[in-house]
Amino acid sequence: MKKLNFGIISYAHPHALRYASVIASGKRSKLVAISGDGSNCDVAKVEAKKYGARFYRNYEELLKDDNVEAVYIAIETHRHKEIAIRAAEEGKNILLEKPIALNTKDADEVIKAAEKAGIKLMLPFNPRFTETLQKAKEMIEKGEIGALEYIQTISENVKPPIFLQGLDMSWFLDPEKSGGGGFMDTAPHGIDSLLWLTGDVPKKVYADIGSKIYGFPVDDIGTAVLEFKNGVLAVLTAGWGNPKGYSYGLEIKYYLVGREGFLDVRTAYPDFTVYQEKAEKIYWDRPDVRNIVETFTQAVLKDKPVPITGEVAKKNLEIVLAAYESSRENKTVRL
Amino acid sequence: MELKVGIVGCGNIFNLAHKGALKSIEGIKVAACMDIDAARAKEGAKALGAKAFTSLDEFLDTDVDVVEVLTPTYTHADIVIQALKAGKHVIVEKPIALTVEEGEKMIETAEKEGLHLFVGHVRRFDKRWVQMKDVIKKRNILPMHIRKAEVQNLPFPKDYWYWDEKRSGGVAVDLGVHVTDFLRWFFESDPISVYAVGKSIKEEARANETFDHFMMIIKFEGGKTGIAEVSWAYPYPSRYGVFYHHVDIIGKNGRIRYTPLDTPVVGVAKANFEMPRFSPLLSTFPDAFERELRHFFRCIKGKEDPVVTAEDALIALKIAEKAKESSRKGEVVEI
Repeated sequence: MKKLNFGIISYAHPHALRYASVIASGKRSKLVAISGDGSNCDVAKVEAKKYGARFYRNYEELLKDDNVEAVYIAIETHRHKEIAIRAAEEGKNILLEKPIALNTKDADEVIKAAEKAGIKLMLPFNPRFTETLQKAKEMIEKGEIGALEYIQTISENVKPPIFLQGLDMSWFLDPEKSGGGGFMDTAPHGIDSLLWLTGDVPKKVYADIGSKIYGFPVDDIGTAVLEFKNGVLAVLTAGWGNPKGYSYGLEIKYYLVGREGFLDVRTAYPDFTVYQEKAEKIYWDRPDVRNIVETFTQAVLKDKPVPITGEVAKKNLEIVLAAYESSRENKTVRL
Repeated sequence: MELKVGIVGCGNIFNLAHKGALKSIEGIKVAACMDIDAARAKEGAKALGAKAFTSLDEFLDTDVDVVEVLTPTYTHADIVIQALKAGKHVIVEKPIALTVEEGEKMIETAEKEGLHLFVGHVRRFDKRWVQMKDVIKKRNILPMHIRKAEVQNLPFPKDYWYWDEKRSGGVAVDLGVHVTDFLRWFFESDPISVYAVGKSIKEEARANETFDHFMMIIKFEGGKTGIAEVSWAYPYPSRYGVFYHHVDIIGKNGRIRYTPLDTPVVGVAKANFEMPRFSPLLSTFPDAFERELRHFFRCIKGKEDPVVTAEDALIALKIAEKAKESSRKGEVVEI
């Protein structure tokens, strides 16, 4: 059976660890190369050895490797544009970490480069690949809770990057590199899920985002109110809202209120709890990353459309940036 | 010294909460019960060993020291001002009044007459929230982002006064003041601005052209964010009378969460019916009303200082009123 050969560009984003493991163990995917650009070059090197992948000092060398058919790019956000465009030029299919770029103009350039090269470009937003939210969407579409009216979600809250051990995450606190703090880091996931659940786009956004908890130079938490064209009201909280001792590393919750019922998605990832010095939730399954990798792999191998295109990711970024603007100005922003 | 207490309004809140509390409070004597419905006045009077009245003038001519006003919101100002002018201390149910303007007049009258005016913000006497506030203090949690939701399926028919915004203020005021006061109490900060969105979900709300689902984002001094959600439209089977609180406090030194799952209720599962949760509670513990009234009576006797004042109640109403203005304009409103 044909497998898709992946290269991973950079371990700056800690998601690279999970993607490497999933790609390497995938039925239709193989991890063949890793480059050490950006932060955590040392980790990238150790990982390459662990998976028996070729290690390259920089992405240009990796892109010249004809064995590599697709790349997962986990570099600092401010370098997304540069590297995604080069990868497209070299004919590599691209799974690009979110957010797509620092601004919508850069996003357009990435999208154009992918179109011109005729390669697949996909962005990984996790919640819609979880089994609970897929079930919730199915139930909404079957009319089990009547017309959808209101969504309250934490999507998602994580611990701040400084608590991740063994990785240099300082770029997350530098808005020149990351585009923003906790809200920029996690809200795109929640926003994607709202676009997908409602099948609609918001017409208006109001948000309050700030450096409220840790005293970082970037925001650490934000809440946005999104009013969708079809009348659905959504309130989304996202950021680094979980303290060090919080029992979940990652928190994704939804209240989906319809006219005739509501759905209570308490966690998107199934877990059990271990109690020792503190309570800790252990996820016994993370189908989202596996589904993302498999979906992207199938799209490339069978030349099918990807579910989350550059355009979808650009729309997502527009909403996130509008939320930041709203918060700065303390007024609503129309989209 | 025994305080003589008179009751105006022997309806819902009297029967569900005040009647039982008054029976167990020492050092007071309920001497008079007034209601425009003679049967209800008589029934209330009988339960408390008091005299029944249907005329407010005759009721106010008695020698009661304190009048409890437990009537629909739109009648508060009129009755309270008459009682104060008749020389009685007053305890009025929340919201203080239908409008801020009325509330101001009530407070002015109390000051002019040199009498006490208290408003039944019973959340301040609920063990859960008192304990939570205590933990916040002792453990120096420093709250920065609080979501408080109070949601239910309002069990009253559409011609009931709650559904008429001109009589109840609508859900934004009726439940809204509980949450706006809670946020101010927990943040110990004053509000700066509010953005609010309302929805009409149930038929009862649409028929009355009022909201039954209302959310507010309130910015408080010190970069603090309050998210208030109040709803009469959650599609619970209302015969169970459940009323759910959600609290999520994210602070500089930790996080505190309270969910409906933490409410002491009895969960019931039947083969053909999923998860009804029988609650012995209304919106609060019955003993909270007792603690509240005992405290107010002791304040009147000069033995305690009030933990919540009519001015606090007025600010809670002011935030809700500004929120309603925001929802009409679709814009942020300064407070």
